[in-house]
Amino acid sequence: MSLSLREVGYRYAGAARTALTDVSLDLEAGRVLGIVGANQAGKSTLCLVAAGLAPATIGGELSGEVTIDGVATRSARPWELAQRCGIVFQNAATQLSGTTASVWEEVAFGPRNLGMPITEVADRVAWALDALAIIELAARDPERLSGGQAQLVALAGVLAMRPAYLVLDEPTSQLDPQGTDLVATAIAALAEQSGAGVLVAEHKTDLLARLAAEVVVLGNGQVLAHGRAEEVLADERLDEWGVEPPSGVRLQRAAKAAGVRLPAENVA
Amino acid sequence: MSEPAIETHRLGFAYPDGTRALEAVDLSIDTGGRVAIIGQNGSGKSTLVRHFDGLLRATEGTVNVNGEPVGGRHVADLARAVGIAFQNPDRQIFAASVVREVGFGPRNLGVSGDDLDLRVDAALAAVGLEESRAANPYDLGYSQRKLLGLASILAMRTPIVVLDEPTTGQDARGVARVRAIVDALTEMGRTVIAISHDMRFVAENFPRVVVMRAGRIVLDGSPNDVFAEASWPMLASTFVHPPLAARIGVRMGLGSTPTEASLIEAARRAAGQS
Amino acid sequence: MTTAGHRSDLRPAVPAFVQQPPTGAYRSLNPTTKLVIAVVEALIAFVLRGWTGLLVVLAVVVATAVVARIGRAMLPFVLATIPLIASILLVNTFLYPGATDAIVHIGPFAPTWTGLEFAVQAALRVVAFALSVAVFGLTTRPDDLVADLERRGLNRRVGFVVSATLRTVPRILQRAGEITEAQRARGMDTEGSLWRRVRGVIPLAGPLIFGALTEVEEQAMALEARAFSAPGRRTVLRAFPDSGAQRGARWVLLVVLVMVVGLSVTGRLEFLP
Repeated sequence: MSLSLREVGYRYAGAARTALTDVSLDLEAGRVLGIVGANQAGKSTLCLVAAGLAPATIGGELSGEVTIDGVATRSARPWELAQRCGIVFQNAATQLSGTTASVWEEVAFGPRNLGMPITEVADRVAWALDALAIIELAARDPERLSGGQAQLVALAGVLAMRPAYLVLDEPTSQLDPQGTDLVATAIAALAEQSGAGVLVAEHKTDLLARLAAEVVVLGNGQVLAHGRAEEVLADERLDEWGVEPPSGVRLQRAAKAAGVRLPAENVA
Repeated sequence: MSEPAIETHRLGFAYPDGTRALEAVDLSIDTGGRVAIIGQNGSGKSTLVRHFDGLLRATEGTVNVNGEPVGGRHVADLARAVGIAFQNPDRQIFAASVVREVGFGPRNLGVSGDDLDLRVDAALAAVGLEESRAANPYDLGYSQRKLLGLASILAMRTPIVVLDEPTTGQDARGVARVRAIVDALTEMGRTVIAISHDMRFVAENFPRVVVMRAGRIVLDGSPNDVFAEASWPMLASTFVHPPLAARIGVRMGLGSTPTEASLIEAARRAAGQS
Repeated sequence: MTTAGHRSDLRPAVPAFVQQPPTGAYRSLNPTTKLVIAVVEALIAFVLRGWTGLLVVLAVVVATAVVARIGRAMLPFVLATIPLIASILLVNTFLYPGATDAIVHIGPFAPTWTGLEFAVQAALRVVAFALSVAVFGLTTRPDDLVADLERRGLNRRVGFVVSATLRTVPRILQRAGEITEAQRARGMDTEGSLWRRVRGVIPLAGPLIFGALTEVEEQAMALEARAFSAPGRRTVLRAFPDSGAQRGARWVLLVVLVMVVGLSVTGRLEFLP
């Protein structure tokens, strides 16, 4: 079982050139796959394509094959896809429905759209709030949360759809360090405990070094490198690709160039 | 000895609903100086810099800009002295082209003709958007719109430049550009104040770091002092993580090494002694 | 783990703060009933000419506000009408077409009694309208109205737009504040002459509109990611008490509305002073 992209190309509706070219990758249950790349490299597009929103919701032209547990996203309906693969964007404010009075109701928004029995809705909300350890926010007004809390509520709203895969498009880029810690800790726990496959696009390679088992580097809509996180994040060409290496890698490299040794256990 | 660029004395601020945002802030920034302001969201960083151009008015204490009290001066007037590049570029971009967007500020200051063109061109070159002059700003990606916002402040050529989270959303090249702009501003004798959560950017580019918590300045010194182990409990209380280089330096018993260069240097010296 | 037999007791329930229907005589009315009351009051206030009808409607609106106990929370709604009321008073008092009963002559200006009377009536209509909106907005959760209308067969999207609009107002105000700050920091004069302020509208409205447009697409995708387009009815969280009496009252109100509008339009209510 996996979310799989085979020789995928994508062009936005009305765009002259393709945003993705010949991308193949697999995301397995319980794994975290990181996506890095310079701005405009195609990270966000890859997120939309993997979650099936492109082309199901926003149109455009897809070539190759994107399948989620064997189901092609090309022919699936948006609300069916929503139950297979969830997506969270960088800006929490635009993801909250803006119609609910409490966090509990906000998280219930998706399951209610599916018309589930109320007991099932309550089950799912309780599970999602628990998975992210935010039960204490249940009664709060979603408009009055910190950035990190709002992002966790947005994530909970998607989790309540019980997708097998999660796509996170720069989930911490609008957050302060406190919010970033909050969200990163939640993502790490989630992959481990819920068994969801998580694809996360991030500039913060320090964060990916901590979360991801595997990393893909994108450039110009193509895969430039793909492999185990330790290897890809230590690749000499990262700078060239417009990606900042993790701090630890950078410091080790500088130390080596200067002929001094930084013991690995101190850099971790 | 010239007047400080910014000087606050016992500056306090409360919002109309009574929420306290600043408490007795004493801050003096030399003309041509470079200062980073750090601390968790809600600690008062943005509230503080909004006093420098009169967007907010002190409820207690005073604020002087280039030696003159901001008192009753209009924001439009203070904008000649202080330019603030806000965090979210989408809260300011309105023009149909990149060139017009960048020209808005200088034109408000009465700049026109060749001088205007010159300033706009220089600002666009500094952020690397000279190729996009005629583009519609909303056809640019977020990181480029952010650089456009920065250019629109640079073109005003204010003696004091405030950058609110200039590196967020930028990739490695974008961050390098921001660093180069900060250096260029200093070379021209401008005062640069940056609010940032990016500790590497702060430690490597700012000789002075001011740490805020709950509306107060709790630490103020060089990166060496502010990121030294003794300050860690205070930093943790406002959710600031010291840069990795500083943490490694402490683990290796090398003292305070907030930057890559200082860590390598300290490690080399330690190796030479042993 | 517990045995299967006990499991139903341990299932997470809908929390009380979600389930609890609103309390209070007026708040606990069915959302649609409150909507009908607001619409009928506002429309009748606008179609009736002359004093009698207007004052009766105004009295009913104020009585509703008192029963609903909305108190000081209604102030912003009334304050928001001040610019409109001021312009109505000025324009009609000074420029009422054809009126000759001048109150006083001030140079070229001659305010008239006819104009003043018309202006005061128009202003009171605006107040009645604002108060009926306030009573509705302050006693009804948007989500409840949407759920109730959907139960009655209204499209999910229409309901969402209504409900999201009600909650978006504070967000837009905050955004407008940030935009004003950013443009003032770029030297835009908002403290100078009227003309300079008028010219400043574009730099303020531009980012408001563009910002909203760039976010709309992301918002639409985020809704889709939560199955917004799924077919069928949404799950209802709260029961909305409805009763035969309320149903009857709604029909009576609607019939009254149709009659008043009909009589007024055909000129059969002109005997009222």
